Amino acid sequence: MFDKYMVLTRGFQNVRDNGQIVGFRMLVRITYYRGVYLPIVGGFDVKVDGESFPPDRMTFTVGGRAFTMEEMGKAEKVRWPFGEPAILTISKPGGLSPGIHEVEVTETLNPSYVPKGVFVGHTKRRITLVA
Amino acid sequence: MTRKEFLLTVSGAAATAALSMRGARGETANPKFRRGVTLYSYQEEYYTRAMTLEDCVAEVACMGAEGVELVAEEMVPDYPNPPDRWVEHWHGLMEKYHTKPACMDTFVDVFWGGRRNMSTQEAVDTLVAQMKLANRLGFKVMRPTTGPVEDTAPAMIEKALPYAEKYDVRICPEVHAPISLTGKFIENYLEIIERTKTKHLGFNPDMGIFVKRLPRVFLDHFVRQGAQPEVVRYIATAFQDNATLDQRLAAVRKMGGNAVDQQLAFAAQGYGPVTNQPKDLLPILPYSYNIHGKFYEMTDDLEEYSIPYAEIFPVLVEGGYSGCVNSEYEGQRNTQDIIATDSCEQVRRHHVMMKRLMGEA
Repeated sequence: MFDKYMVLTRGFQNVRDNGQIVGFRMLVRITYYRGVYLPIVGGFDVKVDGESFPPDRMTFTVGGRAFTMEEMGKAEKVRWPFGEPAILTISKPGGLSPGIHEVEVTETLNPSYVPKGVFVGHTKRRITLVA
Repeated sequence: MTRKEFLLTVSGAAATAALSMRGARGETANPKFRRGVTLYSYQEEYYTRAMTLEDCVAEVACMGAEGVELVAEEMVPDYPNPPDRWVEHWHGLMEKYHTKPACMDTFVDVFWGGRRNMSTQEAVDTLVAQMKLANRLGFKVMRPTTGPVEDTAPAMIEKALPYAEKYDVRICPEVHAPISLTGKFIENYLEIIERTKTKHLGFNPDMGIFVKRLPRVFLDHFVRQGAQPEVVRYIATAFQDNATLDQRLAAVRKMGGNAVDQQLAFAAQGYGPVTNQPKDLLPILPYSYNIHGKFYEMTDDLEEYSIPYAEIFPVLVEGGYSGCVNSEYEGQRNTQDIIATDSCEQVRRHHVMMKRLMGEA
């Protein structure tokens, strides 16, 4: 559910560190009807223009705090509020070129009352990166 | 036989029950229960920030409804410990719009996303934090989802009961599809209620347990996702024949079902089962303190496509139900890929239907 709202157009940009482009980031929202503690987030599968990025190249930032996917699994006090965009940052030296990109994201949520696989959001859309 | 002796016989008890049922039937036009809305219904507009909490409460009041049900993790900032100023805002809204807190819905994620299992004590502590929040917000009823839908959580619930008394909250596990009204789930909680004599444990029936045919918005959504039309037709029929999950999965495999077809076979578990009858609610209505008026699609004829509300409401009257029936719109997840959701319109249709069935002008 909420698949079409998951990835925002705004906020899609390259990430710089010491003047070097080290990756890119996008804003994502939860594909579920409530906010959750971070361990309930199973993770993200991200493909841009057909290139897949493994979880160990992603960080998730919510409320100004950044977490690796592994750290998210242990952040039992931290919440991802309902409808609030979080920043998904993906490491890719050189980043993405300015222009239109095909962004495909699958987001998995694992609430305890249903079997795994019930709340999986998926979207594939074209978004323009400017810088 | 004296009157007292007569009443002690089985036929006497039946005659007394029949008398009170007649009395109750006479009240059809004047039921004791009230209309409400779970703000779950407005989830999409809240998520996209098209509606604020105040907009949601104002819309409930605009329909002449009284009960406001809240999914705490949807709308409470800094859950489960919102700042005092937000709690004041909440109470201010209830006062301004003449609405009442009906039920607060919570979740205990006992498997922590499949990463580790919560201990019973940890689960109880989670419930206690939720009850404190319910108390702060003026909710006397709380619906915790304590793990897999069909499992009771007797150890957790019993340990939480003293706190339910302390915070004056009735804990009402949800009777949600595919729970059978004549099965273990009900039996297990009734056993606790009867043994402990607690006034703080009950039920929150969800009307999705009475689905008589699968919602067409649900089936059509699966077709758009890639389910094969013949499999969809089979699942619709199998649901009405009360086929088990194993039978459905086996049949779908035999038909050469794809991954989406398999998902459909599982997802059909979220409705019914068709064997549930409205009258089966009667034994639990004395302990039911909130009801989810679940719906998936209100048609232009102002009827719910799948749920026979006209058969359900007389049973609520007969059973003397006196809580709220809160509209719970869940069709948006099945249609948001092709149409712009208008939750308010759907909830309004549900309320026109409820008013009709309640004999309200």
